[in-house]
Amino acid sequence: MGQETQAQTQTSASPALAPAPTPSSATAPDAAQPLSRGILSRSRLRSIYKAAISILLALVVTSVLFIITGANPLVAYYYMFYGAFGNTSFLIETLVRMSPILFVSLGLGIAFKCKVWNIGAEGQLYIGAFLGAETAIFLGNSPLALPASIVLAILGGMGWAAIPALMKTQLGINEVITTFLMNFVAIDLVTWFVSYPFRSTTADFPQSATIPASAMLPILIPHTRFHLGIAIALLAALPLVYFLMAKTTFGYKLRVVGENPEAAKYGGINVKKTIFLALIISGALAGLAGLFEVEGIQFSVMTSLSPGYGYTGIAVALLGGNNPIGILLSSFFLAGIYNGSVNVSIQLGQPSGIVSFIQGVLIIFVLGSEYIMRFLERKGVFKR
Amino acid sequence: MTGLTIAIAFAASCVTFACPLLLASLGETVVERGGILNLGIEGAMLIGAFSGFLGAYFTGVLWVGLLTAMIGGIASVLLFGVLVVRFNLDQVVSGLAINLLASGVALYFLRVAFPGGGYPHLNFLFQPFAVPLLSQIPVVGPIVFNQPGFFYLAIVLVPIVFYLIYRTTFGLRLRSVGEDPRIASYVGINVSRIRYTSLVLEGALVGLAGAFVTLSQFNTFDTRLTTGLGFIAVSIVILGRWNPAGALIGSLIFGSTEALSFWGTAFLTGPQASSLAQLLTILPYVTTLVALVVGGRMSKGPSALGAPYAKE
Repeated sequence: MGQETQAQTQTSASPALAPAPTPSSATAPDAAQPLSRGILSRSRLRSIYKAAISILLALVVTSVLFIITGANPLVAYYYMFYGAFGNTSFLIETLVRMSPILFVSLGLGIAFKCKVWNIGAEGQLYIGAFLGAETAIFLGNSPLALPASIVLAILGGMGWAAIPALMKTQLGINEVITTFLMNFVAIDLVTWFVSYPFRSTTADFPQSATIPASAMLPILIPHTRFHLGIAIALLAALPLVYFLMAKTTFGYKLRVVGENPEAAKYGGINVKKTIFLALIISGALAGLAGLFEVEGIQFSVMTSLSPGYGYTGIAVALLGGNNPIGILLSSFFLAGIYNGSVNVSIQLGQPSGIVSFIQGVLIIFVLGSEYIMRFLERKGVFKR
Repeated sequence: MTGLTIAIAFAASCVTFACPLLLASLGETVVERGGILNLGIEGAMLIGAFSGFLGAYFTGVLWVGLLTAMIGGIASVLLFGVLVVRFNLDQVVSGLAINLLASGVALYFLRVAFPGGGYPHLNFLFQPFAVPLLSQIPVVGPIVFNQPGFFYLAIVLVPIVFYLIYRTTFGLRLRSVGEDPRIASYVGINVSRIRYTSLVLEGALVGLAGAFVTLSQFNTFDTRLTTGLGFIAVSIVILGRWNPAGALIGSLIFGSTEALSFWGTAFLTGPQASSLAQLLTILPYVTTLVALVVGGRMSKGPSALGAPYAKE
């Protein structure tokens, strides 16, 4: 695209609520720096401190919930961490839980890197899962079912994200509102599909037919739910996203557009195209997250497909500093919070809602961690 | 029921559904005029609905519920305000954090307050109030003049907010802060104070919007009751061009789509009725998206909307 279309991006981005570029301190403090050589460079160590402080403070604030209900927070956190990482089977279940969160948040990391706030991963997940699963059901027990379902899930997530992406790049409409509203459309549509036209004839509750055996992901660790999707997340999606962000010009463009769209424009980067690609790639990964939940765990599309992985991905990507390695660690942590909270509920009769609460508090502290870190550095807790 | 009675009842329902949207979008209009984009309005409305319900349920007095709803709304919006005004954090992400936090708080404390499970009910509600004489006007009377008090309040607030934004010193300062906080600050305007004032106002209005849902429209609380209303209200502000009159028109349009999806089962007949009725639930969201495509692009908001501003 030529200079003219790029100029339009700028004009169309400023009206109607487009969030202006934020100071780098807000979300990705060292995003502009090239990935450093050493594993534990100063700036990286500093980001690790910041993430650790955010987690610690979020857990401290959340302990207020336990205190109000008369539970000892230390006991509650013991149950939480035991339920998440306490023994081999809990640990494997946490990895099972991590898989969809990792897929979603790797994609969101790409979008957030160029300051595109895709909060529609939840809907992209549902659409991808539904399209992929129905493709597998349509093809039946054929060797094509699995690969075809993967392609359709990617296309489904991409297509669903392409709508707000076009609205953003062509009309300058804030993607936060459109991606969020499209979640409701997606979930309600999939609910309708599996309640009426694609409803299973045998199940009591609204859900799709069962996927054929050929599309079920193989179990890699016997007697557990550790399925192939988790391996794909760790050994394919993660390295690919890392490569994309660290080693390609696209990754470089993402950073420049995110840091300074003005500079990106003058540097000859097609800002619109970068934003569009970032959004649809994150949609594709969300679609895969949903599909592998169906093909690895649930085996049919249910209305309760996701407990909010699309929103969890936001907290994970921010906590991980939009960096694939950081995202891996944070998604493991938040998967642990999910499973650990279930254990806390069982052991202490705690109500649900802890997971959303921790996520909200966590995001606030991650955003504010630069302030907190500077405060601690002034006080001499950390070296400047 | 005859066709006319149904049509009148449906039209009245459209007006009723518009009510929380109008209250919320008026509040958001004020805040956005001052350059703050508050997406946490979704969570604030949830907290307003929840705290209002708790207040009314445990005291047995509806008016107490109204008060607690406003306190809940103000507290939620002020927490957001501290994050974005005092600490200058990213407005979009802070808003999302407030929404997650709010749904966590509502889910958790719903079960703390009612450990037995199930959904508690109120035996008393803010009933529609028939305005003497005016409610006797054929057709228009039952539609417009037989509504809960919230509606009359919201309608009266439209010109008041208009006056506040365009005809008062506060409004002038608010608008200049929203256009360029730096220059506003140079000429001696206390940017933070203006923004906090607008946020408190929004908190009260959003709290009222939440209270309307749990204390008048429905008699129970569920975290799903207000889902999406906040984001639709933000869209209404864009489509209404940051103008209270626009917010009124937008709220009526989107209230109608909600009423239509709510009334689907009553209108539809035949073997496909239940299927179509369920499909209608996407109508408000699809309408909002389409409206943003049609009307959102020409919309030009306050220049500094959503932009970070650190005091120098």
